[in-house]
Amino acid sequence: MTLVKTPPPLSQEVDLSKTYDAVVVGSGAAGGMAAHVLTEQGMNVLMLEAGKKLPIEQELRSMQWPYDHPRRGDAPPGYHSLSFNEYTIRTPPYAKGSTFKHVMSYVGGWGGSDYVKNILVDEKDHPYTGTKYAWVRARALGGKTNIWGRLALRLSDYDFKGKTHDGYGEDWPISYADIQPYYDKVDLYLGISGVKENLPHLPDSLFQRPNKLTFGEVKLREGLKKMGRVLTPYRAGVTTDGLKHNKYRSKCYGRGACDRRPGGCDIHAAFDSPTGLIYPAMDTGHLTIRTNSIAHEVLVDKNTGKARGIGFIDTTTRKSYEAKAKVVIVAASTLESARLLLLSRSPQHPNGIGNSSGHVGHNFCEHVMGPGVTGLVKDMIGKPPTLDDGRPGGFYIPRFRNLKDKQPGFVRGYGFEGGGGFSIFPGNAFGTAGFGANFKKDVRDHAGAFIGMGGFGEVLARYENYMDLDPEEKDAWGIPTLRFHYQFGDNEKKMCEDMVVAGREMFEQAGIEVVGTDDKMLTEGWSIHELGTARMGNDPKTSVVNQFQQSHDVKNLFVVDGSTHVSASCQNPTWTIMALAWRSCEYLAGEFKKGNL
Amino acid sequence: MTVTRREMLAATAATAAALAAPLAAPEAAQAAEAATVVPKFFTAPEFALVDELAELIIPADAQSPGARVAGVATYIDFRLAESLDTDQQAKWHSGLAAVETLSQELHGKAFLQGTPEQRLAVLTKMAAGEKDPKTPAEHFFQQLKGWTVRAYYTSKVGIHADQHYKGNVYQRGDFAGYDAK
Repeated sequence: MTLVKTPPPLSQEVDLSKTYDAVVVGSGAAGGMAAHVLTEQGMNVLMLEAGKKLPIEQELRSMQWPYDHPRRGDAPPGYHSLSFNEYTIRTPPYAKGSTFKHVMSYVGGWGGSDYVKNILVDEKDHPYTGTKYAWVRARALGGKTNIWGRLALRLSDYDFKGKTHDGYGEDWPISYADIQPYYDKVDLYLGISGVKENLPHLPDSLFQRPNKLTFGEVKLREGLKKMGRVLTPYRAGVTTDGLKHNKYRSKCYGRGACDRRPGGCDIHAAFDSPTGLIYPAMDTGHLTIRTNSIAHEVLVDKNTGKARGIGFIDTTTRKSYEAKAKVVIVAASTLESARLLLLSRSPQHPNGIGNSSGHVGHNFCEHVMGPGVTGLVKDMIGKPPTLDDGRPGGFYIPRFRNLKDKQPGFVRGYGFEGGGGFSIFPGNAFGTAGFGANFKKDVRDHAGAFIGMGGFGEVLARYENYMDLDPEEKDAWGIPTLRFHYQFGDNEKKMCEDMVVAGREMFEQAGIEVVGTDDKMLTEGWSIHELGTARMGNDPKTSVVNQFQQSHDVKNLFVVDGSTHVSASCQNPTWTIMALAWRSCEYLAGEFKKGNL
Repeated sequence: MTVTRREMLAATAATAAALAAPLAAPEAAQAAEAATVVPKFFTAPEFALVDELAELIIPADAQSPGARVAGVATYIDFRLAESLDTDQQAKWHSGLAAVETLSQELHGKAFLQGTPEQRLAVLTKMAAGEKDPKTPAEHFFQQLKGWTVRAYYTSKVGIHADQHYKGNVYQRGDFAGYDAK
């Protein structure tokens, strides 16, 4: 087997005098998918990305040994990553008045800050205000897909028809049957690894080779079987068998150090938008990319009220430009998309484009995380090391609450992500007491004996959880910032309490000694699974876009990212974002050809 | 720079060769090597103290060399020398001073002047409040141990000689682990 080393295709010249068939704002999972589907359909697409096009392999350096890096992966002096305490004690804008030259979100503090310092935004340039929120943003071609956690899950009708099931919130305007063919397309086009489990609430994908489980993980899986619950190998958006149709990506060969976080995959076995979607789209000859281009307005035709393009600022020249297009596709990430719609005020759309409902920025939802449990697998003490971190992740325990049962304290549910076994750094060294020969032997003997997991719970979409534009504060380019009005509610708190109890119970059932639990809820935003703010629906009065992510108000305006999700589910959103975008863009191309847009 | 597979294998082979050498060297030679380091942040006596404390926390044993050969003190010195965090820098100076104060209290002599047993006694006292540090020396122990752990287990010695880490190389044959059945 050889590693694929095809260089990125050369960029086409950007011609702002011409009118493109479509302009796409954003180059992450959603924008990349829009570019892929529309160019396949023969449409000429201009993609605007606010960040740079980075030499990503040089940024990520996935194979670099810690000792070959002068700071063992840490960023140079002058960089600071926000800590949980800072998010807790202070309110945004968190970097205001900081004496550090650069301030990054908490993700920089995971121990590989040098590898992401050019991918993550500098908080100093990108302030926001309001309630506490850990907002992680990546401005670079590919956005957050460069460093995502890769857990690739499907939603089910327990999510799409959640209101029918439990009476809370709103149903989506689609059901699983509508999106299932598009999940299949995403699986086959991008590659996904996993094991079929035949669960109605976590539908299977079309899987490639699954990851192995470690001894402790198998023990937990067996223990859970007795409880009627499931532990499945991490369903990873990673190609393990390879993709014949994609020359930019190699298949995963389990080399290890995959749990260096934040860390992308520099052989692109893990999905990222540039190699998975954008470069192949460029090869069609129909995609033009303009990076360093911050969209700040959806431009409106004065006569028709339709969208006619995007107003943007070049980050290098700081000049304003217009990109003209027949269709505008917003895919800037949940919060940035809402911000862009709100910024786009005109006489025809005084509250922001596509916002006649007043719902833009509202109904925000995401995942709450923090609570978790750590256990000791005694059989593993003193066992020789194996390569356990040559996997994109360990395991996933799907939701088990409020499926057939009805919990007294909360609606909806949560899943656990976790893993056990050896890794390049023996994390147990920090928790091992004492010093000296015994300490050293203890660390060694126990390095592969720990197993841990943390919950990801559905945060209920509520109208009163919202973001609007700050009337005063502006970012480094003079664009008004977002202002947060959002906090976890009682349902989330009760759910988190249950995570600790249930997590402990599961370990005990499996014969794994619980050595620690965490009951702390991490700051709002921590999961980086922000959703809602431009939700879909059939009623233009209570939703922003229809089932094809098309604005109810402006028929040639589409919003194809996570902002359109009606509820958060507890399953990670990336695969759903891409399946929905595929479905919508197929519809869009059809309508475009018919002249209906 | 993109690491090709060939470069990667070459690097791995070089690593193995590099490791073989210090493992065979006698301890006296290693100690002499450490003594020749010109510290950038610490004073020479401070550096010698950090070097000895780190080695006491993670000593050489039958499996692998300790913090001294792993260059823990040199790494900490480099990070502190370039740090812009003056609070943190001050904590290291005052922490090391607290160790000396404690040594004087217990044995009436400087830490490095003490016998191995006396040094151990000082460190044992420093480590006594690990879960809930109260005295300056106890606080410093947390800081010292945290940095020692981070530096040691990210070093060549820590990753390869001590932990026998199997990854970051091309995997042949079966992957480790079990199928989900």
